[in-house]
Amino acid sequence: MSQCQNEPCATESPVVWHRPTPSNEAIASLVQDGRVHSRIYTDQSIFDLEMERIFHRSWIYIGHESEVPRAGDFQARRMGRTPVLMVRGRDAQVRVLINRCRHRGATVVETESGNTKMLRCWYHGWVYDLTGALREVTEPGGYGPDFKPEEMGLTQVPRVASHRGFLFASLQPEGESLAEFLGGAASQFDMLVDASPTGEIFLDAGFNKTEYLGNWKLVGMDGYHPNFVHASVVAGWARNSESGIGSMHREDPFSDAALTLTRDYGHGHAMLDFRAQRLKSYSKHAAFLAKVPGGEKYVEDMHKAYGKDRAEMLISLSGDPHLGLFPNLQLIGNQVRIIVPIAPGVTQVLMSMVRFGGVSDEINTMRVRQHESFYGPAGSGSPDDAEIFERVQRGMQAEFNPWIEISRGMHREYIDTDGSVVGRITDEVPQRGQMKYWLQLMTNSAA
Amino acid sequence: MTLETNVTDASNGLSDWATYREVELFLFKEAELADTHQFQAWFSLFTQDLLYWVPCNNDDAEIGKQIALINDNRAELDERLFRLGTKHAHAQSPRSRLSRIVSNIVLADDYRRGTGGQVTSRVLVTEVRNGKTEHWAGRVTHLLVRQDGVLRMREKRVYLAANDQVLPNLTFII
Repeated sequence: MSQCQNEPCATESPVVWHRPTPSNEAIASLVQDGRVHSRIYTDQSIFDLEMERIFHRSWIYIGHESEVPRAGDFQARRMGRTPVLMVRGRDAQVRVLINRCRHRGATVVETESGNTKMLRCWYHGWVYDLTGALREVTEPGGYGPDFKPEEMGLTQVPRVASHRGFLFASLQPEGESLAEFLGGAASQFDMLVDASPTGEIFLDAGFNKTEYLGNWKLVGMDGYHPNFVHASVVAGWARNSESGIGSMHREDPFSDAALTLTRDYGHGHAMLDFRAQRLKSYSKHAAFLAKVPGGEKYVEDMHKAYGKDRAEMLISLSGDPHLGLFPNLQLIGNQVRIIVPIAPGVTQVLMSMVRFGGVSDEINTMRVRQHESFYGPAGSGSPDDAEIFERVQRGMQAEFNPWIEISRGMHREYIDTDGSVVGRITDEVPQRGQMKYWLQLMTNSAA
Repeated sequence: MTLETNVTDASNGLSDWATYREVELFLFKEAELADTHQFQAWFSLFTQDLLYWVPCNNDDAEIGKQIALINDNRAELDERLFRLGTKHAHAQSPRSRLSRIVSNIVLADDYRRGTGGQVTSRVLVTEVRNGKTEHWAGRVTHLLVRQDGVLRMREKRVYLAANDQVLPNLTFII
């Protein structure tokens, strides 16, 4: 007798089998024109469905290839609830393997990163090579002829692709290509990578690993908050305009009078577009760089590599496209940031610093210090963001009049020539773009 | 303690109690000023050239090459304390209530009463804020120097036991 006779049969994922899956109509009712229901940030069944329909299907950022430079280098990451390993094989190929022994399910790697010759599960001693292939089963006489070692390798994540060294993976065997997924946002990776005169970046300066008691969708692109959440930092810039990340943010880029924009590329990818605003202060920024040993040479090398116009843009932007790539990657300031959802009200944010190739050590040290000043658990910026997210999460427990207002700028946004939706810096274009795509994935209407 | 009378500039923490006791009282005073958020009084314990460093990921991280939790020179620490002193440092509004124990104080073999030297200790900070209690434990090294007769710190380095872990906000003076 089928177990499904008395209740709806959950065929989509064993993760949510014990809970009724919210219907598409119910989910759609939470996302309305210019407002969303706070339950999308607080509800466990919504979170479970996000794991299944977003993090276990979409392209997910895993890591940068420079994090595993040598054969045997690995980094442990997560795709939603799935523990994965980014491993470089002896053939130089980088693979994404599910970090779960095919025998009885233990993770085969317990450290966050390292270098290894093989992957060994210490439960019963099974050994896999760097491609994930099963190389040794202890006491092999225990298995009969039906046991096929060649079919028992570590599970490969079915789709892996990279863009300018940024490695993405998807647990869904079929679907749109990474290029289709990135769309117009793909070009913004260039604004980071090409800020190196040799087009080389290295994520080898470690991570600031932070956690806040709030939903993962709260850490988005928001150009409205800095003058309030970061008022204490802005007050510091009045004392020294070039302290910390002050050198990037001249002439209040967060006012509606600024040339700064919000931009939605579709697929939930959105950015705070600082390009025109920062280009305006190019000469000040070049003068700032000239004070750093190697700074004048950097400016010179950039001009040689990219020509005057593009070099001035790249230098002004400082390798900071300020791009949020849905759902788990952000390129902000001097960092690459990974968003890791843990529970509806728990999120980890991993922040690594981008070191440029082809520049002086002093420039990279300056970048390290800029990063340290604002980001991480003890920086001047990240903790105040985390504090506010926690206040939002507490406030959102109220479900009497539960609406979150995201309508700002709806009357003045427009579609740019490249198809992206554009608003002023304080507008909630990114929030609307994110929720639009979120709804599409959550109700399967993308498939 | 008869050793008291034999104290000289060459005295070290092993040979006499007074040298050790002076360092111990300095660390206790520093702990009290940090616990009670007396930023400027705490700042004045430093020499002009200073390093306040709290690494992350591992204790051997290279300053300026690997990102740290805190990596402040005088100007940067001045700005940190200025910011915490404004009304808009939200992660410290309300402020953390702090209580720290400083223990296992050991003076380096070459510590001299007249010139100072390196001191190693252990710290356990209890932080209470917004209904949550956090414990921050670690090893601390101070580089103490005597300037114009006054003991000051030139460097404070804090090696948190959890510095390779995911961390919540760390916005008070550790």
